[in-house]
Amino acid sequence: MAEKKGLKRRDFLKRSAVTAGGLAIASSGVPMAWAAVGETLRVGVVGCGGRGSGAARDCVKSSPGVKITALADAFGDRMNNLKGQFKVPDNRCFVGLDAYKELMALDDVDMVILATPPGFRPQQLAEAIKQGKHVFMEKPVAVCPTGINMVMEASKLADEKKLGIVAGTQRRHQPAYVETMKRIHDGAIGDIMSAQCYWNQGGLWVKKRQPSQSDVEYQIRNWLYFNWLSGDHICEQHVHNIDVINWAFNAMPDSVHGLGGRQWRKGPEFGNIYDHFGVEFFYPNDIRTISMCRQIDGTSHRVGERVVGTKGWSNCAGVIEGENAWRYSGPNPNPYEQEHTDLIKSIRAGEPLNEGQRIAESTLTAIMARESAYTRQQFKRSWFMSKCGLDLLPPEGLKLKDAKPADPAPVPGKYQLAGVASTAGSKKKKRGKK
Amino acid sequence: MAAPEESKGTMKKELGATAATLAAVGSVASNVHAQGSGKIKVGLLGCGGRGNGAVRQCLNADPGVEVIAVADLFEGKARSAAERLAKDGKYKDRVNIPSDNIFSGFDCHEKLAKCDADLLLMATAPAFRGRQMLPAVKAGKHIFTEKPVGTDVVGCREVIEASKIAEEKGLAIVAGTQRRHEFSRVELMKRIHDGQMGELVGGQCYWYGRGIWFRGTDDKMTELEWQCHNWYHFNWLCGDQICEQHIHNIDIMNWCFNGPPKTFTSVGGRNCRDYSKQAKEVCKKYNDGSETGWEKYNGDIWDHMFCEFEYPNGARCLSFSGHGPGNGRGGEKVVGTKGTSNCSNSISGENSWRYSGKHVNGQQQEHIDLIQSIRAGKPLNEGRRVAESTLTAIGGRIACYTGRTISWDWLLNKSKLDLVPRDLKPGKGVFHPIATGRDTLV
Repeated sequence: MAEKKGLKRRDFLKRSAVTAGGLAIASSGVPMAWAAVGETLRVGVVGCGGRGSGAARDCVKSSPGVKITALADAFGDRMNNLKGQFKVPDNRCFVGLDAYKELMALDDVDMVILATPPGFRPQQLAEAIKQGKHVFMEKPVAVCPTGINMVMEASKLADEKKLGIVAGTQRRHQPAYVETMKRIHDGAIGDIMSAQCYWNQGGLWVKKRQPSQSDVEYQIRNWLYFNWLSGDHICEQHVHNIDVINWAFNAMPDSVHGLGGRQWRKGPEFGNIYDHFGVEFFYPNDIRTISMCRQIDGTSHRVGERVVGTKGWSNCAGVIEGENAWRYSGPNPNPYEQEHTDLIKSIRAGEPLNEGQRIAESTLTAIMARESAYTRQQFKRSWFMSKCGLDLLPPEGLKLKDAKPADPAPVPGKYQLAGVASTAGSKKKKRGKK
Repeated sequence: MAAPEESKGTMKKELGATAATLAAVGSVASNVHAQGSGKIKVGLLGCGGRGNGAVRQCLNADPGVEVIAVADLFEGKARSAAERLAKDGKYKDRVNIPSDNIFSGFDCHEKLAKCDADLLLMATAPAFRGRQMLPAVKAGKHIFTEKPVGTDVVGCREVIEASKIAEEKGLAIVAGTQRRHEFSRVELMKRIHDGQMGELVGGQCYWYGRGIWFRGTDDKMTELEWQCHNWYHFNWLCGDQICEQHIHNIDIMNWCFNGPPKTFTSVGGRNCRDYSKQAKEVCKKYNDGSETGWEKYNGDIWDHMFCEFEYPNGARCLSFSGHGPGNGRGGEKVVGTKGTSNCSNSISGENSWRYSGKHVNGQQQEHIDLIQSIRAGKPLNEGRRVAESTLTAIGGRIACYTGRTISWDWLLNKSKLDLVPRDLKPGKGVFHPIATGRDTLV
């Protein structure tokens, strides 16, 4: 099946390349106008692992006239598949931690797919926008508030430069979700009074450390388990569901209080992330919602969202129960393709989508939740964004061979969150005396 | 009331009769004690902080209360409780505990059940409640029981059975979930149940606080006795914090919804509960001065749990509990389609309301209500309800420990969880590993 699909796609590519060929030349000197209808959209992939490869294929499949023309990855061995599949010449394949800069310096790349570990996203997004590229980027888009600020600034700049940014929170491009949300926002379930979201599942892949690997190389290859790279699983994975709840409310929570820990994941191969979080979000008007996520083998699975209002409730994905009961019955296109379809369509229409601010907000929501669980401190979003100095960005000049011992897994009471001592810490002391 | 006179009632059907008639009839084949206005003889089981508090609240509740027996695992504790009570001028002439009625040891509850008390106050560690209550009710005693009423499913079933027997025999069971006896909450709940908040669609309850005491050992205690002395740190003895403490708030949620949840989905763990210093000292006592293996003396309860209770109408509620650093949380909130409530004294929304009546101390009021109900011949029976709230907390804990979503039906009818060994004797302690978050369902 996979081969058949591949053949079809290649045929299709040939055809679209033929028709688009002439136009591409004409427009090459005018940066604001690339990729108008009929032109080939030249895409560079930054991060050629599983998700980057999937996104590249989905991107090409999604729309006519799309070509993968450049690749970048920290590791050469990770890009072989894409290189072969899309026949990318050696001189357009870049390897190393700074490879993304070389790729983005190419004038004949119109759009980039950013699919490296999330810790790298803010710097890579900033560079892409600076270099005038449209962006498809995987979620989450940062792991710390410093990174969130960079993403928000970059998306403002993208607005000014009329560049598109779409994020891999594919539910936003799934018609069942989109149609449900329209109705929720139109009041089909009345005022929202309560909500829940979950990502409870088993474990994920683990890469064994090889004797030759430096700390940095090992951690990047096993990136899920290191907070500076993945943002922990609440950020890396559960952000999907948190994003849906933000969407339903059309708002971010005002404050957050979380619990979490590392009950099953004990070994060093699991780095320093937790294996469960339970978080309460306080949305405007003190609407309290549940967020729960877990990655422990052999436990019950539950992934999804639920929003409850004064007139009914919804699973956010095609079902509304209550006064205005409704079922979605339209088409269900592959959302991983649809997000590219929507992005490319918007670019070609000259009205590029920009989801940068929104995905930064959802990522921020997850990061706040994580830090609240690490400290068991309840805090406000305004405090977090103005006072918390947490900066997990990759250090300037980071090399693959560098030593970078992993921080220990956070232990509440011992873990120090930058900025807590000055504000929230004083409250803590008062309560302690009671 | 002025001249308390013992009056033993008999069966419910005779309730209409006067106290005097009852006294004459009842003396023959009585198993229901203390109706009418006479003396109510009380035995205290468990002479720790809560037991000593409860017995005073019971004495304060009614001038006819007389304490006639005390029992505790430790003889010293039982004796000192008796002595202090006897010395307390406030209860002059109402504390008459002969030395024969001071019981101790792991079987002290059996001895106590045989004494001449009408009402037993149960305030030992929660593990033993069911097996203490069953024989007591069979022996015709009214019961005041501290919460929770068990640490495992088997124990809760025993309380449910005891509650049925109490019903048949016309005996009272009142539980130390004192919020049920606060006037403000009673008035509030009437309104919630009348639909003033519309349909309930969500709720939250919290008990997250600082750490707890850790009790060391002495030269006399065996390892098991030390464990029972330091019971809060062991799941089989206390039921973990969600059961031991947070049950108060969980009971309020169940009250709002008029029954227990239908499913439980939870996460939790233990990552900062640390009594290593004290645990090492205890370890040395029982291991010839060696600290090797100290971890088990550090206890096995978790330090945080985050549970979702789904009630039969589909409402999903949060239970948030634990001990440790960060912000403390307490209390409850319930959300309906027409408003919200703090579950204490007010509703805001379409039918906003604020309680303005008299406020009472629930821990006192529960004893007043209990004794009034006995005297009126309409004994309160909260046994099943508090067993259900205890089981709700245990369900949340099981979902945490196993990582599995479980149902109330499974919990009540299928689970075989039985944590408390029978026939305990002074000696080796009973230790379990800390739950992994993916333990096997039992």
